[in-house]
Amino acid sequence: MRLPHFEYVKPATLEEGLKVLHQSGNKARILAGGTDLLVNMKYRVVRPEIVMGIKSLPELCTVSSGSNGSVTIGSCVTLTDLAKNSLIAENYPALKLATTSIASKHIRNMGTIGGNVCLTTRCWYYNQSKLWRDGREVCHKAGGTVCHAIKGSTRCHAINNSDTIPVLIVLNATMVLKKKGSERLIPSKEFFRDDGIRYTVLEPDEILTALLLPESSGDSYITFIKVCSRKGLDFAWGSIAASVTGSNGKCTQASLVLSSIASAPLVLKKTSQVIIEGGLSEQSIEKAVETARSELGILTNLFTSAGYKRDLSQVLVKRALGELQGQMKKERRTKA
Amino acid sequence: MKQIITLKVNGDTHQVAVSPWHTLLEVLRDQLGLTGTKRSCGMGTCGVCTVIMDGKAILSCLTLAFECEGHEITTIEGISGEGTLHPIQKSFIENGAIQCGFCTPGIIMSAKALLDENPHPDDEQIREALSGTFCRCTGHIKTVEAVKKVSASYGKGKNDGE
Repeated sequence: MRLPHFEYVKPATLEEGLKVLHQSGNKARILAGGTDLLVNMKYRVVRPEIVMGIKSLPELCTVSSGSNGSVTIGSCVTLTDLAKNSLIAENYPALKLATTSIASKHIRNMGTIGGNVCLTTRCWYYNQSKLWRDGREVCHKAGGTVCHAIKGSTRCHAINNSDTIPVLIVLNATMVLKKKGSERLIPSKEFFRDDGIRYTVLEPDEILTALLLPESSGDSYITFIKVCSRKGLDFAWGSIAASVTGSNGKCTQASLVLSSIASAPLVLKKTSQVIIEGGLSEQSIEKAVETARSELGILTNLFTSAGYKRDLSQVLVKRALGELQGQMKKERRTKA
Repeated sequence: MKQIITLKVNGDTHQVAVSPWHTLLEVLRDQLGLTGTKRSCGMGTCGVCTVIMDGKAILSCLTLAFECEGHEITTIEGISGEGTLHPIQKSFIENGAIQCGFCTPGIIMSAKALLDENPHPDDEQIREALSGTFCRCTGHIKTVEAVKKVSASYGKGKNDGE
């Protein structure tokens, strides 16, 4: 499939790029790695008049550490470079794990962290060629009024398939969004919307320029688990990031986030509360696994059946908490 | 809408007139006649269009030609000498890792990017590097074996890493 026609703009500076977006609004799309946008353009599900390449803007391509122990990741750092970065490998191993789990080496060499965060939500009925889509009524996301994933639904249920998002939320990352003349900082938890069409709060004239990671705390444990049909290349059926802060099985803080299950990453608040109250005991983990099922809300049959998604979510919660329990026990042994 | 851009491919500098929507793959095949790089899915799934850009394996079907200016591109045509094969190519033939040959350029370029960076990878690293490429006839065991065998002596021959 060939790309549709468009005008290509390569800004020399970020300011110039923001100006272009300000003037063109909805007509322009930002191109970074291209592994998501260009595929969707070939499918004719995105038809921008202007494509603005920002990958070569140097201010977006660095990972740097601040004086307070925080780390700033430029949105155009490639997934390969991010996984190789020593600041990330030492302080945020779960982010490295999630990053290396994405697609194939080729795609990680091209794709960027900003692109993975803003990854288009996906659906069986939407991510198809125009010819294929034309065989059915036009769905919400393609500009129509029906949803093929859930019959009768008044909204789009396309799924957020990003692997780095759950880890970034668990790490309390902050997104830096810039537009002409202003900048806003959005906590990663509030960056996503439970809507397959407008799945982030990013405005058409804004660029996600960086991700800020707070200092990694010494007594916190974190893990990431992804389940997909093959280890390489496939999008996840479900993934989870989980973290706890504490020692000796007791937790002062807990955070669990599921991804690839719904249109937005699912922050399991009640499940986390169970762990804060009961710690990482077998009994408490059992209770957390039960609680998780009640927090999932309405799920679709996209990519896997809704029933499978519920079971998988419970398995992911159980595995993640077991892993954290193991990490904590191991740490206690090494300290003792 | 066409613009003249300068591409550095296999050590040669080419000036080509391209439109913004032309991918590197289209320019390599249709304008430069370098048809060793294949086109198949066009969606980043199969890996047959793999070329090396600045030492990294990338997919030429998802790379705009406009964004390749100032970068060093190597295609399958650029790795063998005159009348001689690259050691990875020889190893693929000797180890039966080639059948119809359509996916082979992509797999060899992926393997070359890996071996140039890490001449002695373990099985897991080889599998990871080749995981973005599909072979639908020989299978993937032979390709992993071929890369493993050539890695033992990689970087020692005079034609390596060219």
